[in-house]
Amino acid sequence: MNISLNLNGTATDWEVAPGQTLLQALRASGAFSVKLGCETGDCGSCTVLLDGQPVNSCVVPAARVNGSRVTTLEGLLGDDLMIRLQTELVEQGAVQCGYCIPGMLISLYALLKQGPPIDEETIRHALTGNLCRCTGYVKPVEAARAVAAVLEETS
Amino acid sequence: MWKLQEYRIATNPAEAVALMRKGPGKGAYIAGGTDMLLEHPACDFVVDINRAGIGDVARTPGGDLFLGAAATLQELVGNEFVTGFAGGAVSMAASQCGNRPVRSTATVGGNLCNALPSADMAPVLLALDATCYIADEDYQESLPLTDFFVGPRLTVLEDRLLVGVALPGECAGWRCASHKLTRTAEDISLVQVAVALGVDDGRIQEARIALGAVAPVPMRASLAETMLTGQEIAAITPDVMGDVAAIAAGECDPLDDHRASAEYRRDMVSVLTRRLVTRILSDDGDNSQDGAA
Repeated sequence: MNISLNLNGTATDWEVAPGQTLLQALRASGAFSVKLGCETGDCGSCTVLLDGQPVNSCVVPAARVNGSRVTTLEGLLGDDLMIRLQTELVEQGAVQCGYCIPGMLISLYALLKQGPPIDEETIRHALTGNLCRCTGYVKPVEAARAVAAVLEETS
Repeated sequence: MWKLQEYRIATNPAEAVALMRKGPGKGAYIAGGTDMLLEHPACDFVVDINRAGIGDVARTPGGDLFLGAAATLQELVGNEFVTGFAGGAVSMAASQCGNRPVRSTATVGGNLCNALPSADMAPVLLALDATCYIADEDYQESLPLTDFFVGPRLTVLEDRLLVGVALPGECAGWRCASHKLTRTAEDISLVQVAVALGVDDGRIQEARIALGAVAPVPMRASLAETMLTGQEIAAITPDVMGDVAAIAAGECDPLDDHRASAEYRRDMVSVLTRRLVTRILSDDGDNSQDGAA
């Protein structure tokens, strides 16, 4: 079936199978930041924004996003907030193997985009869907707190 | 990949039912899909109800809280009508389901229609006297949520569509709290208990105790409720509380499985019932769920 969506700001048409997932369709379209992990909605490495909300693209049917806005990390590479978040994660040493990082960036971006107040609890809550098996969560949380502090100062 | 022949998108409830009945082959409704994309149920087509106009959350003119079946759990977490109803107990229960990205698409209707004994939203909605609204092609009917669940993974719906649930306005001022006991925060519950009490003039006027994951369907502990109803708060001694908790534990019918033994589940019904009733009556204004039992 043919569907139309806004992918990273660009009107896009996809031919998708009825049983295909958004994850499969995104990777077929070249959005390789979207990682295939558990495929059961547990690990969060395939997290993307669907109409601004973080979702596990492995448990969203591709056909469902007809008429929706889908944002992957590729679509946010020039975004000031995303650049600040990426820089802070690197500076805090929050990136090791990196497999979970695109998903974590999307989850943290969705939270930070809401604006203050953002504290450690809200950050940890936002990351409940992102598993990391090497860095852990302390440094990503610290990085997000640092960005949140800057947002608070400038808001 | 999930072997589906067709993905149909409904724009209203009657159309959804018609699309379901049109055939050929076997169909299923899909909303958030967070369970269906794990389980890939054998069917030829699905009917997507996300755009069927049943995703709203609203207070009706009569004061009821209406939760559209396609409302996401994240919507329930943050919606001010929901956070302002019965101390925000429904928001709190929704916030304990799955993880953040799952809650973005998982819906309250999907949680109920999947009809697991451990359905996360069932106990708190049962405790707040929820009514289900069900659409057919040319009529709608309503029935109490207690009558909605028929067995594990089985509801009264057949090929009809759940359009939403309504909580009566009288429950808005009830004190309500629930607890989801799990091994890890994201796991399916071992035991759930939700308690709602309508308190007036120092007396429990209305009592609801709902249990999840301890019987073939989410259930009410009606004998324990009867014991509490009409009681003066001052007269509820630890002994009375112990009796209420023991009766609730006696009403459930848990299974042994790899998550927990039946005996443990029954004990936890007793512990959690006592704890929740005690906490609600002490009314410290904190409706948050406490830690592990």
